[in-house]
Amino acid sequence: MTRRIHILPDHVANQIAAGEVVERPASAVKELVENSLDARAGLIEIDLQSGGKTQLRVADDGHGMVRDDALLAIDRHATSKIKDDKDLRKIRSLGFRGEALPAIAAVSRFELETAPAEGGEGTRIKIEGGRVVAVDEIARRPGTTVTVRSLFFNVPARAKFLRSSAAETRAASEATIQLALANLSTAFRLKSNERELLDLPRSAELAARVGSIWGDELAATLIPIDYASDGIRVAGLIQRPADTRPGSRRVYLFVNGRPFVDRFVVRAAEEGYRTTVPHGYKPALFLYLEVPLEEVDVNVHPTKAEVRFRNKIKTEATVTEAVRSGLEGLESAPSLGRHEASFQLVSRGPATGAPRPRPESGAASQIALFVPGDAPPGLPVEGEDTEVAAPMARPGAMWQLHDSYILAETRSGLIIVDQHSAHERVLFERIMQDYDEGGTASQRLLFPLTIRLSPTEAQAVEELQGILKQIGFELEGFGSNTVIIHAVPNPHPHFDAERCFREMVAELAHGSPLVDSARNQHERVAKSFACKAAIKAGQPLSGLEMAELFDRLFASELPGHDVHGRPTILRLSLDELERRFGRT
Amino acid sequence: MKVTVTRENFQRGLSAVAATIPTRTTLPVLSNILVETLEDGLRVRGTDLDISVSVQTAAAVERQGAITVPAKKVADIARELPDAPVQFESEGGRAVLVCGNSRFRLNTLPSEEYPSFPDVPFEEGWKLRGGELQTLSAHTSFAVSGEETRPVLNGVLWQVRGEEMRMVATNGHRLAKMGLQLGVGAGEEDLIVPPKALQQVERLFDAGDELEIGRSESHLGFRTARTEVYTRLIEGPYPNYEQVLPKSHDKECVADRGELTAAIKRMAIIASDQTHRVRLSFGPEKLALAVQTPDLGEAEDEIPIAYEGGPIEIGFNAQYLLEVLRYVGTDEVKVSLSAPERPATFEPVGGDQDYVCLVMPLRLME
Ligand SMILES: Nc1ncnc2c1ncn2[C@@H]1O[C@H](COP(=O)(O)OP(=O)(O)OP(=O)(O)O)[C@@H](O)[C@H]1O
Ligand SMILES: [Mg+2]
Repeated sequence: MTRRIHILPDHVANQIAAGEVVERPASAVKELVENSLDARAGLIEIDLQSGGKTQLRVADDGHGMVRDDALLAIDRHATSKIKDDKDLRKIRSLGFRGEALPAIAAVSRFELETAPAEGGEGTRIKIEGGRVVAVDEIARRPGTTVTVRSLFFNVPARAKFLRSSAAETRAASEATIQLALANLSTAFRLKSNERELLDLPRSAELAARVGSIWGDELAATLIPIDYASDGIRVAGLIQRPADTRPGSRRVYLFVNGRPFVDRFVVRAAEEGYRTTVPHGYKPALFLYLEVPLEEVDVNVHPTKAEVRFRNKIKTEATVTEAVRSGLEGLESAPSLGRHEASFQLVSRGPATGAPRPRPESGAASQIALFVPGDAPPGLPVEGEDTEVAAPMARPGAMWQLHDSYILAETRSGLIIVDQHSAHERVLFERIMQDYDEGGTASQRLLFPLTIRLSPTEAQAVEELQGILKQIGFELEGFGSNTVIIHAVPNPHPHFDAERCFREMVAELAHGSPLVDSARNQHERVAKSFACKAAIKAGQPLSGLEMAELFDRLFASELPGHDVHGRPTILRLSLDELERRFGRT
Repeated sequence: MKVTVTRENFQRGLSAVAATIPTRTTLPVLSNILVETLEDGLRVRGTDLDISVSVQTAAAVERQGAITVPAKKVADIARELPDAPVQFESEGGRAVLVCGNSRFRLNTLPSEEYPSFPDVPFEEGWKLRGGELQTLSAHTSFAVSGEETRPVLNGVLWQVRGEEMRMVATNGHRLAKMGLQLGVGAGEEDLIVPPKALQQVERLFDAGDELEIGRSESHLGFRTARTEVYTRLIEGPYPNYEQVLPKSHDKECVADRGELTAAIKRMAIIASDQTHRVRLSFGPEKLALAVQTPDLGEAEDEIPIAYEGGPIEIGFNAQYLLEVLRYVGTDEVKVSLSAPERPATFEPVGGDQDYVCLVMPLRLME
């Protein structure tokens, strides 16, 4: 009997590996752009013909390769990026497996032109279906250009699965955008059939890059976050709650500069938005995680789309907290007119890992958003103040408008506070805290209130009795659809206990978008109570009462947002005023 | 119409009614006052439909008549006029006001459009000194409720029982009750009066004035020869407050009112700005006060008291305590208690006032 087992020739093995790495033109684009980024390119140009199916080219001005390296680069497991298994545990570069070039070359007519940055001869290598067909000396500028023609010409089964040119173009452009969002100091240009789709100059700030990709309208709805706790840092841009919409939105996640997908991280970020956006509304998210290299395993997926965090729970909790802390500041409140274009990621001094850091003013210094590997740092940017300071709650600088809104002067302009929404936020947080502390003190009544309820309401009250007691309603006797109230909460001097109770019970018994978005009965009751008990629109307030509401609002965790997903604060900056009055 | 009146009288009349003029109204004529001539004087009237005020002043009448003028404007004018007689005249649907060299012509609304004042049979009513009414109302009105769902509690209950009368007000959390013995009998009445009307009465009548009081089905009237105040009554029934007045108690404390007030004020600084809760522990010889507010901190204090009864720990809204202590006018105050979920009563010590305030406790958390 003859031997059955033999080693596959290299070009066959590469074809099989290619199946994992190169799925479609977009994956080739991604691999090649990553290589260019690893080579510290300042400009990367991507050129597609028919969505990359007939030809795709990635050209860079990176450090290039000398002839010997270029020849090695197309061998499997040839890499300059790691040396041994120790390095594998702390990978900073985008590539590390030494697999991409041979895999692509195995399934296309491949051409690599490169010349080292130090100068010297250039090299051109041509490969067809994995077989080197020519190696020439050429003259060219430093950098590398890879051209991939007739992708999958020798793997017809895979060629069949390619989609329309438009769909492939979209995918390739999406792959480019992902990398462009993580590499601000590199310029990108993407052309498809000679038409320019992306032209992204080097940017100092993430918001500028977002602006050049999708336009300034999207960029203007985003606010910066930057939060660090216990070695994990989460920075980036998140959407102002008032600008969120139902349905799909843009979500980009990066860890140590590497794009990844992880629905749990997205869910953790959305958790940070809890109570600030209406049910079903989804924020756009651009989150940049930085974790110690050994805390994340990027080698779990052939296209590196997924990563594994060593401490998943801690990572997700930090993301939630980061988003929360971003929503704490005044920045997250909508403003009239243009948002000040200060979308820089501003560090708020030392790591803000303490529970519930208060918004604080003060000079803040710019830190680079992300420095990929040992690549050059982002462009330096002058430090700038962001307005996260609580406004001065001076009664003299506050006015009540139409017995419903409070207008107050702030250092950089003015804010308008919706008194009902603001008080809703205050009460909601108060009650959630009271639950932990065993309930609120409740005022006993001289004349108990007797309230008739519908059978559904009576049943709801009976079920929720314990929680209602914790928020201050002491009830008795549920027979024949009447309850007697012996004690009530007394959250403010204009509070009408009977009305609040009736409205609350009706809402809790029959449901509403507000209470249905709660995650448990305690939160359900707290939301309903906050909404029904808060100071109403139309209630005249004294200067002292306004000042007190301000103090309490800005002492709350999320002062800018009520519990329905509406803003509590509107800002109008002096800049905008000056612009409107033609003073600039 | 045409009258001449001194600037002083004119101004006094206007300011007396000004307080009743509503600032915002859907009925334009209500932002006007009605000026009408009497045989030898002038009467000025203002109303917001709930409370109506009318005052008379001496004037030389040349031609009888009535006219309405914008209240705010005329009051502003009167304040700036030179010290000279004011001539007031209607002329072709406009009001002409002349004083020294100043001359004003104001647009008016027809006087027939002005709401008529309630008709109250004073002859069936009773009499009372202004000061007595003021004492009753000043000690009780503060306790009314602002809640819309129980309108009766928005008013002060005024009970007339022959030679005794009483005022009671409560918001359901605390209650104030004052009684007064009168020299004369005055029938039996249970009236629920808006505190705003009582404020007007306190403001417009002097302590020595003898007021005539009368009521109709829906209104109550107060008058002297020159001044009349009418108010709509709030419809009852008023809750049975007598039932909640503690009949007995087994714990009694006498404290220095100033000391107690000061200690509560100190505690209130740390008390939660929402519940204002202070914890009081009564024991022999001393009262211990304590507050705890989770986000803020804690405080304790202690004052000497005279005390009889077993020890008790009870929580209150500090604001309610301070309010009640303000109205109990004597140097010492008597506090009576029975149980942590039962009301405490506060009464003056010494003096001859029949005054008691009740405060319901806050439930204390374990
Ligand atoms: N554009 C480029 N400029 C300079 N050197 C390059 C470029 N592209 C590839 N190389 C070199 O060729 C090597 C092989 O590239 P390849 O993409 O196959 O592997 P890798 O990037 O090391 O790992 P991975 O398979 O994870 O991408 C790289 O390690 C790098 O040294
Ligand atoms: Mg690579």
